[in-house]
Amino acid sequence: MAPSPPLLTMSKITKSFPGVRALDGVDLEVQAGEVHCLLGQNGAGKSTLIKVLAGAHQPDDGTITWRGERTALRSPIAAMRLGIATIYQELDLVEGLSVAENVFLGHEPTSAGFVVRGREARTTTAALLKRLGHGEIDPARLVGDLSAAQQQIVSMARALSHDVRLIVMDEPSAALDPDEVDNLFRIVGALTADGVAVVYISHRLEEIRRIGDRVTVLKDGRAVAGGLPAKDTPTRDVVALMTGRNVEYVFPDRPVDPALPDPVLTVKGLSREGEFAPLDLELRPGEIVGLAGLVGSGRSEILETIYGARKPSTGQVTVDGRVLRPGSVRAAVRAGLGLAPEERKAQALLMLESVTRNVSVSSMSRFSYGGWLDRGKEREAALAATRELSLRPDNPSVPVRTLSGGNQQKAVLARWLLRGCRVLLLDEPTRGVDVGARAELYAVIRRLADEGLAVLMVSSEVPEVLGLADRVLVLREGQVVHRARAQDLDEHDVLDLVLAGGH
Amino acid sequence: MPETTSRRGLLFGAAAAVTAGGLLTACTSNEPKGAKPAANDKPADDKPGKHVTIGFAGPQADHGWLNAINDNAKERAKKYSDITLEATEGSNDTAAQIGQVETLINKKVDVLVILPADGKALTQVGLKAMRAGIPVVNLDRIFNTPQAYRCWIGGDNYGMGLSAGNYIGEKLKGKKNARVVELAGLDNLELTKQRSQGFDDALKNYPNIRKVARQAAEFTVESGQQKMSQLLQAQKNFDALWNHDDDQGVGALRAIKQAGRNDFLMVGGAGALSAFQAIEADDSVLKATVLYPPTMAASAIDLARALGQGKGVSGMAEFEIPAHVTLFSAVVDKDNVAQYMPTGFK
Amino acid sequence: MTQPVSPARPVAPKSAPSRTGPKAFRPDIRTLSLVGVLLALVLIGGVTQPDSFLDTDNVQLILTQASVIGVVTVGMTFVIISGGIDLSVGAIVALASVWATTVATQDYGFAGILFTAVVVGVGCGLVNGLLIAYGGMVPFIATLAMLASGRGLALQITDGKTQVVTVQSVLGLGERDSYLLGIPPLVLVFAAVTVIGWLVLNRTTFGRRSVAVGGNAEAARLAGIDVRRQRLYLYLLSGLCCGIAAFLLIVLAGSGQNTNGNLYELDAIAAAIIGGTLLTGGRGTITGSVLGVLIFTTITNIFALNNLQSDVQQIAKGAIIVAAVLVQRRTSTTSS
Repeated sequence: MAPSPPLLTMSKITKSFPGVRALDGVDLEVQAGEVHCLLGQNGAGKSTLIKVLAGAHQPDDGTITWRGERTALRSPIAAMRLGIATIYQELDLVEGLSVAENVFLGHEPTSAGFVVRGREARTTTAALLKRLGHGEIDPARLVGDLSAAQQQIVSMARALSHDVRLIVMDEPSAALDPDEVDNLFRIVGALTADGVAVVYISHRLEEIRRIGDRVTVLKDGRAVAGGLPAKDTPTRDVVALMTGRNVEYVFPDRPVDPALPDPVLTVKGLSREGEFAPLDLELRPGEIVGLAGLVGSGRSEILETIYGARKPSTGQVTVDGRVLRPGSVRAAVRAGLGLAPEERKAQALLMLESVTRNVSVSSMSRFSYGGWLDRGKEREAALAATRELSLRPDNPSVPVRTLSGGNQQKAVLARWLLRGCRVLLLDEPTRGVDVGARAELYAVIRRLADEGLAVLMVSSEVPEVLGLADRVLVLREGQVVHRARAQDLDEHDVLDLVLAGGH
Repeated sequence: MPETTSRRGLLFGAAAAVTAGGLLTACTSNEPKGAKPAANDKPADDKPGKHVTIGFAGPQADHGWLNAINDNAKERAKKYSDITLEATEGSNDTAAQIGQVETLINKKVDVLVILPADGKALTQVGLKAMRAGIPVVNLDRIFNTPQAYRCWIGGDNYGMGLSAGNYIGEKLKGKKNARVVELAGLDNLELTKQRSQGFDDALKNYPNIRKVARQAAEFTVESGQQKMSQLLQAQKNFDALWNHDDDQGVGALRAIKQAGRNDFLMVGGAGALSAFQAIEADDSVLKATVLYPPTMAASAIDLARALGQGKGVSGMAEFEIPAHVTLFSAVVDKDNVAQYMPTGFK
Repeated sequence: MTQPVSPARPVAPKSAPSRTGPKAFRPDIRTLSLVGVLLALVLIGGVTQPDSFLDTDNVQLILTQASVIGVVTVGMTFVIISGGIDLSVGAIVALASVWATTVATQDYGFAGILFTAVVVGVGCGLVNGLLIAYGGMVPFIATLAMLASGRGLALQITDGKTQVVTVQSVLGLGERDSYLLGIPPLVLVFAAVTVIGWLVLNRTTFGRRSVAVGGNAEAARLAGIDVRRQRLYLYLLSGLCCGIAAFLLIVLAGSGQNTNGNLYELDAIAAAIIGGTLLTGGRGTITGSVLGVLIFTTITNIFALNNLQSDVQQIAKGAIIVAAVLVQRRTSTTSS
């Protein structure tokens, strides 16, 4: 890369949200005219980082240097004035306005300060669209009438309507057909040729190989590698960085004698059109089964379908020989299933409520007589459950939102523990949990299994699956491609399986 | 909002003055009253004349007074063998009512009687009818311009206030430091201000009387009960009460009963049947009511017929009917209530 | 980079270890600020109208007038806490009150009127609930439709006429003779509904589930709560409250009219919001809502006693909504 000073340097950026440290001293350096790829699993901190870059989040700590000068991105407008534009995955366009109105939203060309010069806006927009290879989009059309790909072009035209030096693209290819992706790459090429820098976020490694110059990998809110050459770094190394461990955990010992009873959960031919192929699975009390796979391999979908939160296309789930009503969470919960979902705040927790209420919500009938709650009994039971999991602080009347990520997860586990559930489904159990608190969570999960629970866990971190599970199912594109005892696999085997074929 | 429009109907809802009928027919009848009563029963001119088709467009009858308007018009038309009444389904929607009137114009009715949902908004269609050579009798809610109607007939809100004030003034004559309370109707409406103005102006003639409190209800029973109970709490003693509207008066009387008060004289407004019955029974504080007569619809039919047949009003010297007829707001009390009973609306 | 960070980062502020035992009553700062507002109003009323404001009659009057809208507000509070809204409460009160006062219904006397009012209220709530919970309609739209058709049906039943109640036992309930120890029966019903509502919200699984559904419907579903059935029950509850309120209104006004319950939906929502109920759901108290109702009723009363006219009343009402919400926001942010 050129010896000139970098366009952008972010250094030791730190950002915390209640309960979790999203960014923990991240460095990022971007040169003018390069495509800098940002890689990382869900929750690694990518979106927080680009929001800091877009001025939407203010970092708690760290410095940002723009073209050699210290700067603070106080607001999205401040970032835009400097020439930083962001194209979010969830496009932020106003569907009821025309293409030209969207492109110039907030900086409309005006006469006398307030009369919008519509024609000028439309001609400029037309020129921008043409430059983006989509001259066929009429600037006067409503954005809501356009396809997703066209909307993305509009979003890009909006970025280019400013004097832009750096464009952040958050998974821009996710919604595009292959030939549209080619056009996108052509645009990216043209932009960088003009000296514009592109920060490109994608899960698709082959894209990064095609257009990327350098790669920064984020994991657990840290940059585990910065400025790797995008073309030459072996795929396996990149994936290992993304999925590997950056702390040597001590995983709890597995039971020596795995003389297991009959399966408690049996899954037969379960599938969902377009998400995952028919799956057979047996789960015995006391064992932990791990599902390993990359994003999009269907792992969360499998858990949620077993749980009844999604309706299966085929197949059935049996608990203790009784077939569950498909697509009914209540039936699953009654039968003794419990889910700790991936998005804890959105899917599991009542953030305004106390720990007690979050823990007791699934077993209220146990503390009630004809709907009447015995709150003393409820509190005692919740306290017992949280104590068993060493939840901190040792006071279940505090609001659950004040807890750290790991303790919030324990609150969810306590919920199912209290319910007396027999099969625990864990989706990314350490997502958003501070690195230091994970070992404790692993110990808790193993202990629950030792006490007779059957655990089915999903994780995008291969070492976590290998370290914690007894058996592992490797998933690729909705198919189980391998089943093995965890002891018989190592990280490289799994990566090969996960990446086999395409990449 | 439906409530608003429906309340708008009611505001015009108030009472009946038979003197206007007298003006048109020059006599009052003492014949036994029919079951479906309207104005005094005697048609204006019994001799059948040229056949006249009258188009009638009124608002939705969502209130007793408006119901009475419809009934009065229909009953009156039935009494004439030479009249065909083309009545539209009432509507509170201005656009819908304009459409209905236009249909009547296209049907080439001979005369139109229109009680607009909104006088201002229907002015244009009134003009259109007049230009098409169809004379319009504008009922109660007045159009913006006299060009839009041949004849306007309606009640007198200011006059209601005057009548009520004068009646109370006479009753309290000679009483020192007499205290009067007013329970007004919906304050958003001009007619409420007019009624209050008339009441205040009348009271000015009686220096011994002071109006000590006024609260506005909303022409509903519920609001009448609410506001009246507050007034009773605020004013532990007063001598007379004027309530603008007999409908809200049902609630006001309820509040008075609940408070166990009977130390004052109450005058109503509009001319509801329940008020007449209470006055006749003479067992409550309600001693009189001032009219805003729905019989104006019957008179409007008389006027429309006269227009269609090219006649004047019998009993008047002119060959033509008048351009404006403002009805008198009569006071109904125990002495004359029997006569008005049939005009009372539910 | 390989050093684990400190285990489980410290939580929250310094919560003293002796933090309130299980039984301790923790007065909510929001509720306290509402009580403060109410006391200030009482002071204003007492100073401006010392003769008429602070006597038994006036307390009875204020409470009686609060009871109809108060019962409606209790039901509305549940609906809002669960993340919904019920715009049809006024229309349901109107419909129930006219249906229960038709000549045919009055033939069945006291029981007939009470039964009809409650059944009509619950029936409307059932329709709302089914449309929202199982028909997938947005509460705003479903209850707006119920508002329109309920008012329409009420008009059709009455034909715009006032239906005067002639059943003496019903009328008697609204009169002085039936006061129990100086408390009007209407106020007793209001108090009972408030207490039951408080208990249901705070002491039963139903209340918990309502809060859970409003706080995070997806989390509630994944926790095994039947979210749809809960929503159905909530609109049924609101309908039931409207039915009871309709009966109270019949007793109070001695009649049924299609204009009854005019704008109750706005009054009830305003009272709940002032009371600290989150319009987005997940938080709210019955105590707050009832205080909100009492504040509104007391203001109206003070205005009337001071002979202020409706224009001033409306302006002040708007100002008080804004002021109350601002004061609450301030007190709640400084306390957390």
